[in-house]
Amino acid sequence: MNKILAVIKREYLQIVRTKTFILGTVLGPVIMGLFIFVPILVSVMSVGDQERIGVIDASREIYKELENRMDFKLKDGRLKYVLENYELVADLEQLKDTLNQKVLAGDISGYMVIPENIIEGGTVEFAAEHVSDFDKISSINKVLNTVIVEKRLKKAGLDPGEVSKYMEEVKFVTQKVTKKGVEEDTGGTFIVSYILVLILYMTLIFYGQLILRGVIEEKSSRVVEVVLSSLKPSQLMAGKILGIAAVGLTQYLIWAVFGMVLTSYSSSLLSSFFPQASGFKIPSIPAYVFVYFVVFFILGYFLFSTLYAAIGSTVNSEKEAQQLGTPLTMMLVIPILLMMFVMRSPDSTLSIVLSLIPFFSPILMLLRICVLLPPFIEILGSIVLLVLTTVGLIWFAGKIYRVGLLMYGKRPSLPEIIKWVRYK
Amino acid sequence: MEAIDVENISKQYGSFYAVKNLSFGVPEGSVYGLLGPNGAGKTTTIRMIMNVIIPDQGSIRVLGEKMSEDMKSRIGYLPEERGLYPKMKVGELLAFLAHLKGFRGQEAKKGIDGWLDRFDLSKWKEKKAEELSRGMQQKVQFIATVVHKPELIILDEPFSGLDPVNTKLLKDIMLEMKESGVTIIFSTHRMEQIEMICDNICLINKAQSVLKGNLAEIKKNYGKNMIILEYDGDGRRIREFPEVDKIDDYGKYMEIKLKDRADPQKFLTFLAGKVRVDRFEIKEPTLNAIFIDKVGEKNE
Repeated sequence: MNKILAVIKREYLQIVRTKTFILGTVLGPVIMGLFIFVPILVSVMSVGDQERIGVIDASREIYKELENRMDFKLKDGRLKYVLENYELVADLEQLKDTLNQKVLAGDISGYMVIPENIIEGGTVEFAAEHVSDFDKISSINKVLNTVIVEKRLKKAGLDPGEVSKYMEEVKFVTQKVTKKGVEEDTGGTFIVSYILVLILYMTLIFYGQLILRGVIEEKSSRVVEVVLSSLKPSQLMAGKILGIAAVGLTQYLIWAVFGMVLTSYSSSLLSSFFPQASGFKIPSIPAYVFVYFVVFFILGYFLFSTLYAAIGSTVNSEKEAQQLGTPLTMMLVIPILLMMFVMRSPDSTLSIVLSLIPFFSPILMLLRICVLLPPFIEILGSIVLLVLTTVGLIWFAGKIYRVGLLMYGKRPSLPEIIKWVRYK
Repeated sequence: MEAIDVENISKQYGSFYAVKNLSFGVPEGSVYGLLGPNGAGKTTTIRMIMNVIIPDQGSIRVLGEKMSEDMKSRIGYLPEERGLYPKMKVGELLAFLAHLKGFRGQEAKKGIDGWLDRFDLSKWKEKKAEELSRGMQQKVQFIATVVHKPELIILDEPFSGLDPVNTKLLKDIMLEMKESGVTIIFSTHRMEQIEMICDNICLINKAQSVLKGNLAEIKKNYGKNMIILEYDGDGRRIREFPEVDKIDDYGKYMEIKLKDRADPQKFLTFLAGKVRVDRFEIKEPTLNAIFIDKVGEKNE
């Protein structure tokens, strides 16, 4: 046990001290935070500039009303969009050419062409140097829509005020039924499930690869037999897997602390500086989800890392390992591909069966727990199956590892590897 | 008492025998040579002694006990395939390897510093192993083998890749350890090293032992019918002597084994007038000659 502890300590310190780990652990959440906050900050802080937009109103009915309604303001109170009317006196194409020149010269940011038959159902064209500012496009589109629809209603003898009352969009709220009652859920479950499952997926792959590379390094640097003169291959494998598991848990702990600080302070911090952003809220996650998250990380990690260790022991280089490791990595990718299906029908028979299959269960069962807490017996079932499979694979992988570590040269074929298991 | 007692061990991979019915004993406090051509089964034998692989049959006793995991801390082992963790600092690496042998704390620290000092590596203690030259890495590997004060040292091809300076250093330390009572067993395919250092040998060829025992006795039993000849002239004429058994001809230097009970004096008379004799020496056979005699010339 003392020897295993020495190996655990070595693995842990060697990884935790690397720049990759420090950057990944500390900068990871910082970068994630930046992704969330920077766009909010930028949009909140920027004042913006006035934009001039040309209007060619061939119908001669829309412009005035449009100008009245386009009353979006900048932070300093000025109008955001200043409309310029261009009378269509002669040829439309000629006028368009002139305006195109103005757009390219930067005099106006864009222009729209309202056709003569707009009330009867014509199409408005909007031309600009770029049309990727969705906010602007949708604002213009919305105002234009209101103005034109009102005109149409009036022409038909209807009162626009009255009609809009009837056309009021139906309010639609999504709720989640839980044992504690009914809670409002505006897509938070989806996002949280998605993020948690992706973190689990990425960390399982990352730490699996770390084990793989560690074993290959021990083998290719020829240090492995030196170490085996002091302990058994199984002890080395156990120490390695436990040491790296400790690294993973350390990383989660740091992220969890970071996440807690973020959730508890982010709203108040943001709103104290920028009152406009006070609506921003990170959805709260039940504690049991985190417990299962850690449980499935540990179980999934043991399952995959023993196999990655076995693969590492049979090869001589990372290149060779990639070929052998692909099927194993696929076992992690498949549940990600099935994710959307399971999320949509978490309690269908197929979802239940898939989430019980050991290689898929860490990701799919966790997903089901996030979306719709399944009966405890199903969770327990997946855990028991996972543990039994892992125990069997540790035995199997240990046999391969023990022989593979001392084999150099040609990469063994699968039948050869199977034969190793029978060696004394 | 014997430090290592190997009894009738075999290891088979499929139908291929890596080691077959091998037995030998290493007397305590001696230097024992495992000799054999490449692929003879030396490394497999050593790995079985170290419990790194398990023999299919037979038994191994080490330091008077049945070999087990607990014994490993009393043994220092330098494998043939040896290396260091490239990213670890030399000092930490040695502390880790010593810790695995149950040797830790202040005493371990002192031991490591002492050895680093002796090998002139003190200023490399905080450097990563990958920054060291090959020669320095070999010294660190050797320190890792002996730092925990083992009673038995097993070295698999310890001299391979060493330059003459480090070869001498290693040989000196081996003798020093022998004098302090440590048993040393080492494998090599280089005769002259065995001849100079070993008390006892076991010659392995094709998985089996072909010759074993005390080196001096082996040589004596081989008889004094070995002739060292330095000559000038036509070597072919020397071969005409009917009682020549084997010749290893270098052009001007020849190692000649005469047939049993042949008279060297007659041979000298035969040579006179055929070639110019610069040196004629009757001596015990070299290990090289015994090796070739036993294993066949194809192997060397």
